[in-house]
Amino acid sequence: MASPPPVVPYTAAPQLDITTAGSLSIHPHPCFLRQSSASSNDQFPPEVIIMRLQATLLWLASCVPSAVAIYPDEVNHVDFHHALLGVPTPESTFFLRPPSSSNASLLYTLSEDSLVGAINPRDGSPLWRQNVSRSSQPDHGPGLLRASDGVSSIVSAVGDYVSSWSALDGKLVWENWFVDESLVDLELLHLADPHAVPASKDTVALFGGKAGVVRRLDGESGDVKWEYKDESGETPFQVSSSSTEVFYISLQSGLLKGTKVKVTSLDPVTGRQTRQVTLNSESDVSGPESILFVGANTASPLIVWADKSQKILKVNVIGSKKVSSLNIENTSGQEIRSVVIHAPHQLNSLPHFLVHYQTESSSWAEVYHVDLNTEAVTKAYSLPRVQGWSVFATSNKDANVFFTRITEAELTVVSSASHGILGRWPLQTPPKERFLHAVAEVVAKGESVAVRSAAVLESGDWQLIRNGQNEWTRYEALAGAQAASWAEADTQEDLAHQLQVEGHESIYGAYVHRVKRHVKDLEHLPEWLKELPKRILTSILSDEVSNLDGFGVSKTVIVATRNGRVYALDSGKHGAVSWSVKVSQGETWDVKAIITQPGYATVYPDDGSSVTLNVTSGGIVKRTSATTKIRSVAVVSDDGTPSTIGINGKGAPLEPLSGPGFFVTSSDDGRVLGWAASNNKVPVWEFAPAPGQKIVRAVARPSHDPVASIGKVLGDRSVLYKYLNPNLVLVTAVGDSSATFYLLDAVSGNLLYTTTQEGVDTTQPIASTISENWFAYSFLAHPVHPSDAMGYQLVISELYESPIPNDRGPLGAAANFSSIHDLLPLPHVISQAFVIPEPISHMGVTETRQGITIRQLLCYLPSTNSLVGIPRPFLDPRRPVDRDPTANEAEEGLIRYSPYLEFDGKWYLSHVRDVIGISNILSSPTLLESTSLVFAFGWDIFGTRATPSQAFDILGKGFSKLQLLATVVALGVGVVFLAPMVRRKQVNMIWNA
Amino acid sequence: MALPNPLRFLLLFILTTTTLATSILTVTIPPSNPLPNPNSLPAGTHATLTSLPSSSHPEGSSGQQHKSKAPLSRSGSFTFHALPKSSSPTSYLLDIRSAEYIFAPYRVDLSADGTVLGIWETFRGNPWDNRGAEKFLADVSAPGSGRDVTVEAKVLSRRGFYEERSTFSPLALFKNPMILLALVALGFTFGMPKLMENMDPEMRAEFEKQSRASPVSGAARGAIGGGGGPANFDLAGWMAGTGNRPAAAAPATEVDSARGGATGRESGGATRRR
Repeated sequence: MASPPPVVPYTAAPQLDITTAGSLSIHPHPCFLRQSSASSNDQFPPEVIIMRLQATLLWLASCVPSAVAIYPDEVNHVDFHHALLGVPTPESTFFLRPPSSSNASLLYTLSEDSLVGAINPRDGSPLWRQNVSRSSQPDHGPGLLRASDGVSSIVSAVGDYVSSWSALDGKLVWENWFVDESLVDLELLHLADPHAVPASKDTVALFGGKAGVVRRLDGESGDVKWEYKDESGETPFQVSSSSTEVFYISLQSGLLKGTKVKVTSLDPVTGRQTRQVTLNSESDVSGPESILFVGANTASPLIVWADKSQKILKVNVIGSKKVSSLNIENTSGQEIRSVVIHAPHQLNSLPHFLVHYQTESSSWAEVYHVDLNTEAVTKAYSLPRVQGWSVFATSNKDANVFFTRITEAELTVVSSASHGILGRWPLQTPPKERFLHAVAEVVAKGESVAVRSAAVLESGDWQLIRNGQNEWTRYEALAGAQAASWAEADTQEDLAHQLQVEGHESIYGAYVHRVKRHVKDLEHLPEWLKELPKRILTSILSDEVSNLDGFGVSKTVIVATRNGRVYALDSGKHGAVSWSVKVSQGETWDVKAIITQPGYATVYPDDGSSVTLNVTSGGIVKRTSATTKIRSVAVVSDDGTPSTIGINGKGAPLEPLSGPGFFVTSSDDGRVLGWAASNNKVPVWEFAPAPGQKIVRAVARPSHDPVASIGKVLGDRSVLYKYLNPNLVLVTAVGDSSATFYLLDAVSGNLLYTTTQEGVDTTQPIASTISENWFAYSFLAHPVHPSDAMGYQLVISELYESPIPNDRGPLGAAANFSSIHDLLPLPHVISQAFVIPEPISHMGVTETRQGITIRQLLCYLPSTNSLVGIPRPFLDPRRPVDRDPTANEAEEGLIRYSPYLEFDGKWYLSHVRDVIGISNILSSPTLLESTSLVFAFGWDIFGTRATPSQAFDILGKGFSKLQLLATVVALGVGVVFLAPMVRRKQVNMIWNA
Repeated sequence: MALPNPLRFLLLFILTTTTLATSILTVTIPPSNPLPNPNSLPAGTHATLTSLPSSSHPEGSSGQQHKSKAPLSRSGSFTFHALPKSSSPTSYLLDIRSAEYIFAPYRVDLSADGTVLGIWETFRGNPWDNRGAEKFLADVSAPGSGRDVTVEAKVLSRRGFYEERSTFSPLALFKNPMILLALVALGFTFGMPKLMENMDPEMRAEFEKQSRASPVSGAARGAIGGGGGPANFDLAGWMAGTGNRPAAAAPATEVDSARGGATGRESGGATRRR
């Protein structure tokens, strides 16, 4: 996920929350009230004075912008990060002991999304992650990952790309591409060769394509040592190896029906064919899917398949012609759903294997031993049939093989040699869902054993169970979240409701209601008193920064994942999962939006259905059935009861809404449309870009975007009035090598401003955002003229009512302006471009409660996997160019313009974290004006608290309560000592006089 | 064109090898001041080569064509295998992507067959033609010189992500003016009697007489010793400098005392000495 799609597709329609304008009374032709009004032309109208106060505040706030970085002791306290891999694949997950890390083994996996990762089994934190989906082929499977004990590197292969990584730190050992071929199978070569270099093992890879090719790749360089081409046109199936031979297994389609399994033995040194065996399997095997197992790198590599009626299991020791038939003893009376073979992958382990049978409601297993001399397969013992599912994992210690079984209730370990149970632990927390597959590591100490097992749940979560105890859970299903939204619990809503009741009653009634409410609140008094000493103590002694849960920093985020689930993460508890529920009936879904109301969250998939969930419990409250396919969802807020409507591919709303409201949609064919809520047939306006251009993105101002000051106070106390239109839409359209940005009025569709950038690489991400009276965008620019600079650029534009301070242009003293009635005044735009070191793939803006705190432009940097918050003062387009700021400008806080903007380390909200694949950034205000919550998702999940002007309303950790107490105590002690002295002295003085 | 046969074969051989062979660019990271141990770089560090998708590139595959990526290898270097070929010489921007360390960007010029023509430092926000220090230049006379190129990356600086938290130190306490004032006052309280004892008797007598004249001590004495004790102490009057004072002071003293109670004693002395 290191390189996101070059063009960020535009999915959600800009939802314009027009109730902030609050003037929808003039219904047919809505006019828009300015958010603040300048009523007279007096020298100091009250607004100006208030504004100056605010300006002073803003200036104060902007005085400290350089110090916004996170403190090292706040890491993991104010921020959290789910570093995800995706759901682990069963055949590429294993415990491995990297040679240099003494005793501790690590958990390695290749996920379904082709991410290789090493996990610390102790706490589930990833040590390193690498995206290996660098194949040029578009549709390749998840790939394969192979490793071997005592070797310092692991080998992965996806599509045509084979790479080897250092097991300990995830750095590249070698990589190799095989163009026009795709990988079928991969094995490490375990040769019983005393001269072999132990640090690396050669790889045997089987490629398909025009012909099957077996290649031996050097373990140090990845170069091809030899290759064996199979020109017979058979389906290449697998490779396997013993200590002396490499086996190439292909499937030969029979003349009439069925498939024959052909085993070709190759010399591991030269790659020449030594012999060939064809097995008579055509009556049972119809294709690659009917072969249950091909054992690789075991002392006795096996091929196992079953007959069509699943009565007989056929086993062949690779290399021989003999096929043993084993009866399947099915006493359950049910049809066998799956047969899975588990065998150790170590060369020196005992040649034992386990067959796991699963029916609809029960599961059992049988263990077989292979006699290496006679190649006979005998049944050793069977594991009892239990109701429900069970999963098995194989692990080995030296030659001993252990089988770990996890059922719904317990975890058991048996040795492959005998059926005696070595360890049995009941599961402390019974799993809510069934496990799909597991890996285990068994440590034997004399008679007793200890086991830890990493199991993948049906939900995609990954759990480590150590001796029955649940150690950690990684919510891998969260990877690639589709939509997320902040939610509010309805407890606050309760109080708001109560207050509303009081407001509407008579004075006496309200008073009685209030007294009753307070008396009722006394219920909590004993509890509160009980908590009090603990609270005081912890606030003084503990390492906690401060408990700010009461200030709205603990919010729930509702996340919809690809596998049809909805998760609730608590931003106050380091992003811990509060609940997760399976919502969609299908395997996957495509969620377009999550709309929240206090207490409830509604998820809208693209099929037009909707599911409403309770935010605190995760219970499904309401479900509506699927209708038509929708492209996005629009919200029309009307006095706090938002109504939502689906938008189809043509950009038209599915049905008219009653009541006033406006919204803007975009259509599949690249147009932007403006609609009145009451009419879903004809749009009010339609916008299409210039011919040859394609709309890639449209953004509107955030729904919560308060403006603290209607103007910008300059150094000489004059004011530049901001162009504050609540209905702005910024549309990005790309041509061949240019990008055009259109600023539209959402109500009338009027074009307010347009700008075109030439020499733009349109395959690179073009991010844009708009807030308050400014908008920003970034792109990769190439030199059009040889004298131009090449690199990524960030452009910021500010909108003002007129270029002259203390002048409002055509608006004059008008308190309101209308988008439709009068001539819409055009903004005066001041722009500045900065060269930035790396691309920005997504932008956002911090939102605070009152908008007094300066804003940060949140940017996701996909090339370094970081999230930065650039303080707005650095992006001021009025920074003086080619000269030092004058005294007035310096007073305003302007610094000299420099074309190159290097990202300061202090701006990195993600600091050293490797946050990959972010495609969306949400921000939310808290009750604290200084603090804004930031939540980023897309692949990883990252959340933090941003304080763009420092935490000016919180006593931080730097404020030592202990020191304060010590000072008070010291003063008290001083008074106690000095008081008698002074008294004595005064008495003496009287005697002396 | 009558070339001798062996030479013709040689030419043919060179031509075929140039079309077949792919060029390799390796970027190594030497230890430097900001980054003393290049092995400490995280595994996510990588290098990218970016260029303009020129019109010569086939449409559609441009995303793959004009941006290539090399992950950090175990030896602490980045290797671009098979440098991209194009129909005309192209120049590329070579970046090393690391969140914590800032590397200098390089300009890499490649010929049409993918061999390196030259590598220079470049400066962000400057014209593309403004090349900095030369890192590599292909030898025109030797045709294979740009095929396997190794350059050293340059670490410019390290980003500091964290804010330093000021730690509590007793020394910092003494920088506080309030603490200093309190300490001076304490010094006077304890030091003055000692000083008085060491004074010669004559001077002491004079000092005592004088301090008795001082309004503060006088008032205090008046307050404690006078008639009804603290009960009939006229605070307002004392603060205004009027009321029943046991000893009348010179007007100059009064002015001084009004100026500041703390210096009353010393200023009283000054008036007297004048």
